[in-house]
Amino acid sequence: MLGVPVGIGHRYGNRVLRTFLWVFDRLFRGFPVIVLLFLFYFGLGGLPGIRIPPFTAAVLALGLRSAAYQGQVFRGALGMVEHGQEEAARALGMHRGQTLLWILLPQAFRFSLPALANEYAVVLKDSALAFVVGVVELMSAGRFMATRNRDPLTAYLAVALLYWILTSGGVAVLRLLEHRTRIPGLGLERLRR
Amino acid sequence: MSFLNAQTLRELAIGLQMTVLLIVLSAPLGLAVGCVVAWTGVYAPLPLRWGSHIYRSALRGTPLLVQLFLLYYGLPRFGFVLSPLTAAVLGFSLCSGAYHAEYLRAALLSIPESQFEAARALGLSRRSALLRVVFPQALRRALPGCTNEVVYLVKYSSLAYLVTLVELTGAGRLIAYRTFRFFEVFLIVGVIYLMLVAVVAAGAAWVERRVALERTPEPGVMRDRPIGRPSGHGASLRRRRRVQNMS
Repeated sequence: MLGVPVGIGHRYGNRVLRTFLWVFDRLFRGFPVIVLLFLFYFGLGGLPGIRIPPFTAAVLALGLRSAAYQGQVFRGALGMVEHGQEEAARALGMHRGQTLLWILLPQAFRFSLPALANEYAVVLKDSALAFVVGVVELMSAGRFMATRNRDPLTAYLAVALLYWILTSGGVAVLRLLEHRTRIPGLGLERLRR
Repeated sequence: MSFLNAQTLRELAIGLQMTVLLIVLSAPLGLAVGCVVAWTGVYAPLPLRWGSHIYRSALRGTPLLVQLFLLYYGLPRFGFVLSPLTAAVLGFSLCSGAYHAEYLRAALLSIPESQFEAARALGLSRRSALLRVVFPQALRRALPGCTNEVVYLVKYSSLAYLVTLVELTGAGRLIAYRTFRFFEVFLIVGVIYLMLVAVVAAGAAWVERRVALERTPEPGVMRDRPIGRPSGHGASLRRRRRVQNMS
């Protein structure tokens, strides 16, 4: 959910904030997940005086990375809201903050739902990588099973099936949400013409 | 930065070579897989279309890491022992093929039916109408998605080190464990990946400019522009200039 302020910052921030966000964006979208995980766990955890448990490191790395991606999604979504909407809100006497909160964000959120569903699937699958810094999750449980029973094939097939259920289930729920919150005439079909 | 001596630099360079090799092998293979899967997903008879759907759903719904582990640790059960490089290239191609296929399928479906009908009316067979008229247009439309997928591939090539292939991340890890400079080493590795991504993105932008069609003018949009002057940008414009210079 950090993606929302990041997106707003991209679009409306001043130059300092935008430069900072540009670096943040490059860093978290340009580095592979594994490298980020290593940076947070071994890198930050290795600095004197800082101790980061594996779980925190994984959550920080995956969360901040996802925030960078979601920021881009929201930036695009805010750009898709028609300009007249903002002008109309201002003409009705709302100030900039109100316009953003009550007029632009609800619409931008609807535009961004499909991309957010995508992002959910990506984060879920990347969470499998958390085991390299020692978090016990689905993947490492599968690895444990594989070594104990000496049967990697079945173990990893089971893990794959579980991940598949999680991703398709989650994406289906988000699609339902997309359907529920749709406003006829104001959706993407307006752009398609 | 005392750990940056000749030996670590050489190790990083070898790792980088392996990463580049992985990408150079997997990217075209992945695109080829994507083309085949997309084609069967749209034009093949029904059972094959289901197969394409299951393939795409399965490979996009499971983590790439699990797929790599299945190939590398799971397949030996059937007597297929893959080398780390083969397993990685195979895994990357199959997985990114599924994503390519999704973009291509959407693009194929977005090409208006009339294109196909016009080609048929001109006497092209069904196959060559699809292959020579519909498919090139779809490829052009799918290009932004596909190049994006190649950028992802660059970053996900770091997973190959988990099937014991020493590429850039693996090399970085070895150096980090020896020197205990985890933060610096992984920052450098990250910056190298960033540069790789920048190179790929620049290449993709070049290809996109190269194959861009001169945009067909909408009625009303062109009116304020003098008639007869090329309005397009990119390759077609440049080609036209070249022709003018030659004549």
